[in-house]
Amino acid sequence: MSALTLFLTRRRYRSILYEHAHISPMKVDLQTKVATRQRILTVAAKLFARVGWERATTRSIATSAGIAAGTLFNYFPSKEAIAVTLISDALAKAKEEFEERRRGGESLEEDLFSYIWTGLRYLQPSKTFLGCALETFLSPLARSSPGHPGELIRTEHLETVERLIASHRPVRQHLSAVTMQLYWTLYLGVLAYWATDVSPKQEDTMALLDQSLKLFVASLVGRGVATHRSIQPKGGNQ
Amino acid sequence: MNPKVSDLISAVSDWENVPDTDHQARENLKELLAGLSMRPVPVGSFHRLWSLGELSAQIALAYFALWIRQWFRSTESRDRAVMEANLRSALKICQRLGYLRGALMKVGQALGNFPDIVPTEFAETLDRLHFDAPPMHFSLLRELLRSELGADPEELFESFETKAFAAASLGQVHLARLKSSETVAVKIQYPGIARTIDADVRNLRALLFPIRLGKDSEYVRRQVEEIHRMLQLEADYEHEAESLRAAHDLFNSGEGIVVPKVYEKYSTKRVLTMDYIPGVLLDDFLATNPSQEQRNQFGAKMYLASLRLYYAGTNYADPHSGNYLFMGDDRLGLIDFGCVQRYGDEEAELIRLAEESASGRPEVLRELFRQGANLEDADLENQEHVKLLEESYKWVCEPIQHEGPFDFGNVEHLQHGIHVLIGLVRKRYTRSHPMYVYLNRSVFGLRALLYRLRAQVDVKALHRQEARVPLGPSLNEFT
Repeated sequence: MSALTLFLTRRRYRSILYEHAHISPMKVDLQTKVATRQRILTVAAKLFARVGWERATTRSIATSAGIAAGTLFNYFPSKEAIAVTLISDALAKAKEEFEERRRGGESLEEDLFSYIWTGLRYLQPSKTFLGCALETFLSPLARSSPGHPGELIRTEHLETVERLIASHRPVRQHLSAVTMQLYWTLYLGVLAYWATDVSPKQEDTMALLDQSLKLFVASLVGRGVATHRSIQPKGGNQ
Repeated sequence: MNPKVSDLISAVSDWENVPDTDHQARENLKELLAGLSMRPVPVGSFHRLWSLGELSAQIALAYFALWIRQWFRSTESRDRAVMEANLRSALKICQRLGYLRGALMKVGQALGNFPDIVPTEFAETLDRLHFDAPPMHFSLLRELLRSELGADPEELFESFETKAFAAASLGQVHLARLKSSETVAVKIQYPGIARTIDADVRNLRALLFPIRLGKDSEYVRRQVEEIHRMLQLEADYEHEAESLRAAHDLFNSGEGIVVPKVYEKYSTKRVLTMDYIPGVLLDDFLATNPSQEQRNQFGAKMYLASLRLYYAGTNYADPHSGNYLFMGDDRLGLIDFGCVQRYGDEEAELIRLAEESASGRPEVLRELFRQGANLEDADLENQEHVKLLEESYKWVCEPIQHEGPFDFGNVEHLQHGIHVLIGLVRKRYTRSHPMYVYLNRSVFGLRALLYRLRAQVDVKALHRQEARVPLGPSLNEFT
């Protein structure tokens, strides 16, 4: 792929994700466009799960969706873009649920835990290809420019996390790039672990996430990590 | 007051008065054990999060040291070198496995290798040896409950307290109210902890058994297997629910012993919802300076509860102060049925023999030792071994044979029990049927609690009342 093609692909990708309009030379109404876009996503998710990330191609996705390969590119510039959209849509819904379920008074650790775990629940249908997606465009090594497919997910996620952190700090302080990188590394680690976690009800990921966040929050506030409980039994069953 | 690790270790050093022919081996072991006691709990890593409290972990290691110590006696020096090398690597791995220390703690505790300390410390120390799980915040609980019960606690319950009111074995307990208005205690297990412990015990077994523990290897292996089996059951709240249900039906309302009812709809392998029982723990009860009569009444209920379960074919195997609630209306709440051993045919036969041996017929007692302590004919010729076993048996029976209330607050009784046990361990007469791993623990645990309570209980009368024909036709003769 030449530099020019890459540039054009990125531009096209961004225009689809951010504008959702004027994308097709064909005169199709908005409703049809939305329906086709959704069909591509649904078909792609199934195909990723059935034949695996590697073997699913834009051509096979287009065929399964009953459209021409060229038409698919009017909606998504690449397979990665489809995956990003699937992940991004799931995370957006998860964020909505997370906000709705907040009770108020949660600690930062609790907020982060809920935010991430709700995301994992919504990502469940994407689990089969998440590992490959992580390698392809979510890994820190894959991040190359603001237009990179994984960058959108990263930016959106980190913005929410920064907002949550800010809401729990008595004095607003600038979060260093290192702090956020530490967080992102932990998050990707949890995602990667979860993608292959075969423990019942993903209980190992739950424990890993809990401990990762303890570590992160402790590093953030500059204190040691509590090693054991402080619950003082007052009586009653235990 | 808790014994210091250094005290425990020095107790190990003084343990053996028998001259050791291999001085170097002894020194090597000392060095290994000293290293074990001084190693800090891992800091600044994930392991620290998994670790037990520092003190309990160190005590656990000290118990482990005591246990290891026994294997080194009477061993050929060339075997010792291999054992030392294996032990060194085993200990290194021990340091890296958080819960393994928890498992070791249980092993040390359950095998009954108690250090030579005064009874008060013994009673208190025994009481503090439990698993401890990391605390869980509400967001984690909410997801756990959603995963286990299919909905958020806000939807499942009328109300749910977000802060835990007690720590439990492997998790924590929350107060809640059902939509049908019952107040319940919801015990929730930390995610993945059961499998972690299981893996750690498997590692322990894999690490220890190549060490070759001498002629008693097979017995030790069976005992560790039993501990492993019991730990797996302890981590399974469905098994606990079953034990609770069975125990609930054993007591009638007039007896003043309460076992919480289980709510199956809100219970799974990792979540246990049961009636909330209001009451205080032993320390708080003692702080109210209770009368002797109150002490005796509660003591009698504690003993009765164990006895009733015993004759129902189960052993309430972990009697520690966190499992008993002293209720305002003088009733005793019996909670936490995680560590309950159920007897099969083999165990029932041992119990029958124990009952029958009370007739005083030496051949029955010998049969009990043969089956219970795995003694062969040659062992039965060993007067010292048999005498120590008889002494141990006599100690167990002392309160049962005593006419009228037996004073468990008598320090000499508990002291003597520890002394006899140590005598057996010193001589490495520790072979036993795996059942005794937990039966010994429950006998010592209960007596340690009754000692702290300073209770006087008419044990003989309770046995007469509770004894059931299938387990001991000659019990009446005995009592």
